[in-house]
Amino acid sequence: MTTWRRHLYHLLLWLIALVFFAPVAWIILSSFKTANQILAVPPVWIFRPTLANYVRVLSDPGMVHSFINSIVLSVTSVLIAVAVAFLAAFSFSRFKPPGTNFLMFLLLSIRMLPGSAAILPVYLMYVGFGWKDSYWALILFYAMFSIPFSVWILKGFIDGVSPRFDETGRVNGASWLSIIAKLIFPQVLPGVIAALIFNFIFVWNEFLFDYIIGGPHTTNVPTALSTGLYSGGGVDWTFVSCVTTLYILPPIVIVYVFQRYLLVGMTFGTVRGEV
Amino acid sequence: MRLASKASSPPRRRQSFTEFLGRREVMPFLLLVPVLIFFIIWNTIPTLWLLGLSFYRFSLTSGRPPIFAGFYNFDSILNDSAVWLGLSRTFLFVILAVGIETVLGLLLGLLFWGSQKLPGRRVALTLLFTPMVLTPVASGTFWRLIYDPTFGILGSIFRGLGLPSLNFLGDAHLAFGAVLLVDIWMWTPFMVLMTLAALASVPKAELEAAEIDQLSWWQRLRLVILYHGKFILMLGILLRTIDAFKTMDLIYDMTFGGPGSTTEVIAITLYRRAFEDFTMGWSSALAVILLLISIAFTATFIFVLHSRDRKQASLAEEGA
Repeated sequence: MTTWRRHLYHLLLWLIALVFFAPVAWIILSSFKTANQILAVPPVWIFRPTLANYVRVLSDPGMVHSFINSIVLSVTSVLIAVAVAFLAAFSFSRFKPPGTNFLMFLLLSIRMLPGSAAILPVYLMYVGFGWKDSYWALILFYAMFSIPFSVWILKGFIDGVSPRFDETGRVNGASWLSIIAKLIFPQVLPGVIAALIFNFIFVWNEFLFDYIIGGPHTTNVPTALSTGLYSGGGVDWTFVSCVTTLYILPPIVIVYVFQRYLLVGMTFGTVRGEV
Repeated sequence: MRLASKASSPPRRRQSFTEFLGRREVMPFLLLVPVLIFFIIWNTIPTLWLLGLSFYRFSLTSGRPPIFAGFYNFDSILNDSAVWLGLSRTFLFVILAVGIETVLGLLLGLLFWGSQKLPGRRVALTLLFTPMVLTPVASGTFWRLIYDPTFGILGSIFRGLGLPSLNFLGDAHLAFGAVLLVDIWMWTPFMVLMTLAALASVPKAELEAAEIDQLSWWQRLRLVILYHGKFILMLGILLRTIDAFKTMDLIYDMTFGGPGSTTEVIAITLYRRAFEDFTMGWSSALAVILLLISIAFTATFIFVLHSRDRKQASLAEEGA
């Protein structure tokens, strides 16, 4: 390839990336505008950026509460899920207890169900037991929902570690727990990271479950966004764009920092490789 | 003497509890206990509850206890034109979305194949992959502003080009397409990712051999690239199909299934009946039907996965 052709090729690739990012860029740009500028016809491209929206969002106790909820719900549930999934994946991978394939199948089918169908029975159960709007009930449900993909990802990684490590450990008198913690865990750390970040993004973005089985105490940001939109007639676009910008930053940073785990995460470990 | 000899023979040491737990027959199940607890409380019990309720007439708002109704709910669903419309709309959505995303993703993926030397590649890929990790509620909300007939940027662009400004989400003829476009924007990057993974799985030696044999571009794609990459692509298409079938947040936030019911996919139909009308018996029956469809999808996915593993195993044997 001649130099200018290569430049043209690279320019084209960047243009494609920018086209996909353009709507996001528009959201971010809007968060620095005043209400009139956001709704201006024709759209305003050059303006003096204002931080007033951010001040307003960060001083809104309801919104700050929702942000804290989002963080608490996603971090706690994902940590629980990956810990539980790790033990199960180790068992499935090493001992292959009877019913392994069936259980792996059932686990996966939980995640293949449309959200409204998945939440309906849990909703009935939570109403029956009076578990609605409780942190633990929501965290444990999110954890349950994060377990399937975590088990799939981690089993794939543990399968890749030779059982000879375990045998060596056993011969030298190590207990199973120390084998798991000291021999296996360090080697499958990439899988653990993939499971953590992928499920974090899922819970972070989740709206329906929080809306249905949560309540005023456990409202996360997506629920707050979708239910609080129509207060006072119209949509408060400056507020929405600002909340959205703050909220989508963590996933974007994760895609940048953990780019090589993205493939494993999005395919729950069934496809691996460098992209 | 006898007694003494018996006493002096080493007694069977009592197994300590931790030793018992560490035994090969116990350990595997012990490790599974936490996952099984989660599974039973949050999946098995609710699912059984759902199955049971699907045979009852029960509305949360009526305050009356459930009445056993046999297959009444299923019968009612199968004769409900709204359900059939919702299902066919969902399948149309899935076919169009996944089809377009696959073709576009394949093309863009091939284009990005040689991008190893792209300046700022990591940033560019981050920008490209961002749509699929965004909060669907957030992107749905914002696309509503973009589509807005008076304030939206898309309307401005249309007016600038001298075209009539359209009410994309409010027009019964346009809403479905407008929603579809957002899904394509959101998920084409996933198919690009899968294409890149498929391309990375093609052995370099075979590509060089194809170069030497002077195969045409189309032959290379068909005989070399698709031959090796087809399983990854297939898994990608299947995952996208399952995911598109589940789509709800994004559409619900843009149109609430409207105007009329032109964008009401089956997940929204269920949501409406369950959480707006509270007809729990009927909704449970519909959820059971969706559960069966999802199990069929999962089984297909696992079948493809296993056929890939079998093929890799047989290739490894040939190699050895």
